[in-house]
Amino acid sequence: MARYLAGRLAGVVLILFLVCLFTFVIFFTLSPDPAVMICGKTCTPDRIDQIRDVLGLNQPFLTQFTGFLGGIFAGRDYGHGANLVHCAAPCLGYSFQTNQSVMDMVVERLPVSATVAIGAAVLWLLFGILAGLLSAVKEGTWWDRTAMGLALGGSSIPNYVLALALQYVLVVRLQVLPFPQAVAFGDDPVVWFQSYLMPWIVLATGYACLYARLTRANVIDTLAENFMRTARSKGLSPALTMRRHALRPALTPIATIFGMDFAALLGGALITETVFGLNGVGKMAADSIAKNDQPVIMAVTLLAAFFVVIGNVVVDLVYTRLDPRVRITAR
Amino acid sequence: MSDLLVVEDLTVTFPTTRGPVEVVKGVSFTVGRDETVGIVGESGSGKSMTSLAIMGLLPKGARTRGSVRLDGTELLGRPERELRRLRGDQLSMIFQDPLSSLNPYYTVGLQIEEMYRAHRDKSRRNARQVAVEALAQVGLPEPERRVDHYPHQFSGGQRQRVMIAMALVCGPKLLIADEPTTALDVTVQAQILRLLADLRRESGTGMVFITHDLAVISSIATRVLVLRRGEQVEYGTAEQVFAEPRHDYTRMLLDSIPRIDDEVSA
Repeated sequence: MARYLAGRLAGVVLILFLVCLFTFVIFFTLSPDPAVMICGKTCTPDRIDQIRDVLGLNQPFLTQFTGFLGGIFAGRDYGHGANLVHCAAPCLGYSFQTNQSVMDMVVERLPVSATVAIGAAVLWLLFGILAGLLSAVKEGTWWDRTAMGLALGGSSIPNYVLALALQYVLVVRLQVLPFPQAVAFGDDPVVWFQSYLMPWIVLATGYACLYARLTRANVIDTLAENFMRTARSKGLSPALTMRRHALRPALTPIATIFGMDFAALLGGALITETVFGLNGVGKMAADSIAKNDQPVIMAVTLLAAFFVVIGNVVVDLVYTRLDPRVRITAR
Repeated sequence: MSDLLVVEDLTVTFPTTRGPVEVVKGVSFTVGRDETVGIVGESGSGKSMTSLAIMGLLPKGARTRGSVRLDGTELLGRPERELRRLRGDQLSMIFQDPLSSLNPYYTVGLQIEEMYRAHRDKSRRNARQVAVEALAQVGLPEPERRVDHYPHQFSGGQRQRVMIAMALVCGPKLLIADEPTTALDVTVQAQILRLLADLRRESGTGMVFITHDLAVISSIATRVLVLRRGEQVEYGTAEQVFAEPRHDYTRMLLDSIPRIDDEVSA
């Protein structure tokens, strides 16, 4: 087990390193000179040279890359003499746009993305799995067909369309919700809840529809298994037969997919956050890409990769608990 | 003493888009207490449908006619609730493929225990003890340890032993074995057959043994029913059926058994 974990963690580190390298290469070779961008409209060649010097942009690629990596683990210094700025580890540099520490930006915005992801996950698991279960048990009935038709439709609506439609109906027309605003839970739980409700619904809809269809398919497959016939032949109660023998095998694969989906969402829900003006990691990614804010792009890319890779490891570990046939054997 | 199981004119019908199809057409036979009756036929002959009809486990939409009496109690048309109380307790069944017939997510112990607890004693500790004893009875070594293992940790023959242990844990009056050895190696087949025969004799359970293999039937059953396309083509003692098959189909099935003195033709 310890060997297995060590191996997996080594893999995680390797993947994150490669993501770093690729992202860095792409921006090093493809993007316009950041010094010019930072300098802005009132700019002189001297000023540009100075910025290049402070950020180390005139250094060779390898030096810049190791500087970036070193900053994450040990912190780094920008500039020298009177201009020296120390950036403590873990250092992701400073935004070209706002001069804010990128690490501070991430720390500030991650809770927003996490709130969006967790709330949406609760909604989509609840409604997706319930609808899928009902459809499977009532396979071929009026309910099943309606629910699955809706699920197909729901998973094909783009998030931004749903977001705008919801805002128009709930906020503008019916006025049952206030316009979303950035409020901390501690300040006003009611407004906080109202502000997050629409993002949750929008984000959850697509997933709920997908999970409903998955759950239905898995439960129907499981109900047709030979061991279900055995369970019935043993004279167990229908409730026990369903709960113990059908649900666990049917829902275990869903747990895997959920782990992956949720991890990916922690890296930011780009469209939903942008449409609702939520200052999460997703909106940060959108803004940084629009303005070619390289340190921020690096950070959001790394963060998303980090969550996906860690999510993978967690899912694999959880799976060994859920399915006894999967056992860890260190190679 | 009256017969344990009396099946009279059993007919099973499935609705299809082209109208109802009879898969079992008026089958009648009896199983005495302490007796094994074999049902033989090729695939699609209706032998499995006959056994599922007795268990009340036919797929949705299937309709039955006739009569199935276990110890004088009519089973056909009985409410599901009452059938459930009988299933596993008065009559139980073992299936062809022991791997897919056991739930891979639970230990064999739990799967034996839940059956015992459904019909007998609800307490967990007693049920566990019963499960260990049941595994010991079917000749599984180290039952105290094996009881906590999962189905995939057993070999094919051992899994079928687990199924047999489970089927017999409540001491049923009737055991239906639907091709219990078909998925197994020949040597393991022989062991399982002997085990079934021994346990049946010790417990005095009546058994319906279903197979497509006449050679297997000859070693275990006292009476034989031959089915073909849902119809009963032959019914008699094993000696009768084997010595003087009255129907061409039975003769054909008998001829299909390879014999050790067969000449190998080029």
